[in-house]
Amino acid sequence: MSLAAEAFVSQMAAAEPWPENATLYQPLSDEQILLSDNASSLAVQAYLKMCALPVRVSCRANAEFMSPSGKVPFIHVGNQVVSELGPIVQFTKAKGHSLSEGLDDVQRAEMKAYMELVNNMLLTAELYIQWCDDSTAGEISRPRYSSPYSWPLSHILAYQKQWEVRRKMNAIGWAGKSLEQVYEDVNECCQALSQRLGTQLYFFNKQPTELDALVFGHIFTILTTRLTSDALAERVKGFSNLLSFCKRIEQTFFEEADQSSASSLHSKGPSLL
Amino acid sequence: MAAPLELYSWKGDWGLPSVDADCLTVLAYAKFAGAPLKVHKITNPWRSPTGTLPALKTGEEGSVSQPSKIIIHLRKQKYNADYDLSAKEGADTLAFVSLLEEKLLPALIYTLWVDAKNYVDVTRRWYAENIPFPLNFLLPSRMHNQQMERLRLVRGDPMLEPGEELEKELYRDAVECMTLLSQRLGSHKFFFGDSPSSLDAYVFGHLAPLLKIKLPNGKLEQHLSSLDNLRHFCTNILVLYFPTEVREPPTRKMSVFPEGGDFDNEPHKRRNQILSVLVSIGAMLGYAIMTGIVSIKHIRPQGAIESSVVVEEEEEEEEGEED
Repeated sequence: MSLAAEAFVSQMAAAEPWPENATLYQPLSDEQILLSDNASSLAVQAYLKMCALPVRVSCRANAEFMSPSGKVPFIHVGNQVVSELGPIVQFTKAKGHSLSEGLDDVQRAEMKAYMELVNNMLLTAELYIQWCDDSTAGEISRPRYSSPYSWPLSHILAYQKQWEVRRKMNAIGWAGKSLEQVYEDVNECCQALSQRLGTQLYFFNKQPTELDALVFGHIFTILTTRLTSDALAERVKGFSNLLSFCKRIEQTFFEEADQSSASSLHSKGPSLL
Repeated sequence: MAAPLELYSWKGDWGLPSVDADCLTVLAYAKFAGAPLKVHKITNPWRSPTGTLPALKTGEEGSVSQPSKIIIHLRKQKYNADYDLSAKEGADTLAFVSLLEEKLLPALIYTLWVDAKNYVDVTRRWYAENIPFPLNFLLPSRMHNQQMERLRLVRGDPMLEPGEELEKELYRDAVECMTLLSQRLGSHKFFFGDSPSSLDAYVFGHLAPLLKIKLPNGKLEQHLSSLDNLRHFCTNILVLYFPTEVREPPTRKMSVFPEGGDFDNEPHKRRNQILSVLVSIGAMLGYAIMTGIVSIKHIRPQGAIESSVVVEEEEEEEEGEED
């Protein structure tokens, strides 16, 4: 996301209403998408559903290379392309759809902080498990990531991706961590989220925000994705309020789409349960 | 009783107890928790037990280097500044530390290590002047490259080039982060009431360098100065917990430099000159010996008279030939 483009986008966005043919692009959901990308994609879908903005999900093998920032998912709305949850939230805000309008300054600061917590710990942990744990990388991540491509491109792309993630882990000081320590971090992060959520319906009162969408995307994906071991999911299952939180969001925002089994064409208004 | 823990940290300047954000965080936390550390303020990271700064030398378990690990270690030793926090406040700490790392740290790295003017005029200059010879030629540019690499990887863009667009993007994030922190802090003395916690240490560590180090390109400092409560928060911690450093006058006039070329800004100018003269003399001598312009004869002491006779004979011969 380039800044100039973004400023331009927000100006342009304000002028036009949300079109019916908005499309969200993500990697192939059955054979290609990885845990972390799936989580980010689900977070964006949940956010758009909370905003009652219709979007059609389109799976493309080269979604990562279509995205302007190199990260999935991205949405194609009118003549604009925006990637990742943060910029998408900005974009919808410019169009007059916002979930965090009702928060005061302190709450908004806390919301942003918790969103960074999820990005900083949960997302990084997912990347670590996918690419730095040898068994997961060899059995799941590399074969899935490279499934649309034929040899030798599949090998080149998969190892390139793995190398890139490992270098990133080096730079942020995660390379020295053991798998057990990473699980411990996930536990710590979930603990914090669970504490913050407490017995509330959503993180801030009764109205869902982008934080709820982000947490839902990650926790739900961790719970429903099969990895080489279910240690990660087990860690998350320990937090009962996060589990019921995920179920609630799934029921409120995704149920209708699931029942009709169409590709999430349906959407409902933000629920005020 | 165990030997006191030893902490290795970058030395301070500009009224800061240390010039490095991570070191500042650890120093502040240790003060907040009342941990009796023996602090070594050094300027040579190679003298630290881990090769990086900060580093905490612990008795049995070796040394730890990352600020979060040091804080965890201190916590295990019962030096816990977060003892009074509720579980929710503990969760908030984790969240805001993540916010700092994701939003403010990249901009801090950028402004100190990547922004060309700040790096040449202040950062490289400070490290080159303070790191002992000969590492001062090596380390500053190596640190620069490391930080650039780190920024690239954190942003996930391998082609990242320093430039206006990147700067704008990073600074926008940082400004937003500072505003959020300021809103969260409100009119409190510390983030969680009246006593400081680890979050205060992290915030202080990341903001104090921006506030105190006088940079030619000080956009972040301008914004920070406009947020009164955050500025007071930092100066307050400095006055309360690091009174000796604050009183110490700034050692150098870092803010304004004559508009000299790069050469004038080079530290240790005289020493470099002498060094280069020595090196060139060495090279010339070496060349002369190699090509035989000057030859060195090894003369054994016993044969000294003999050889001198030989030389005389040779001379005579030559004379004879001339005749």
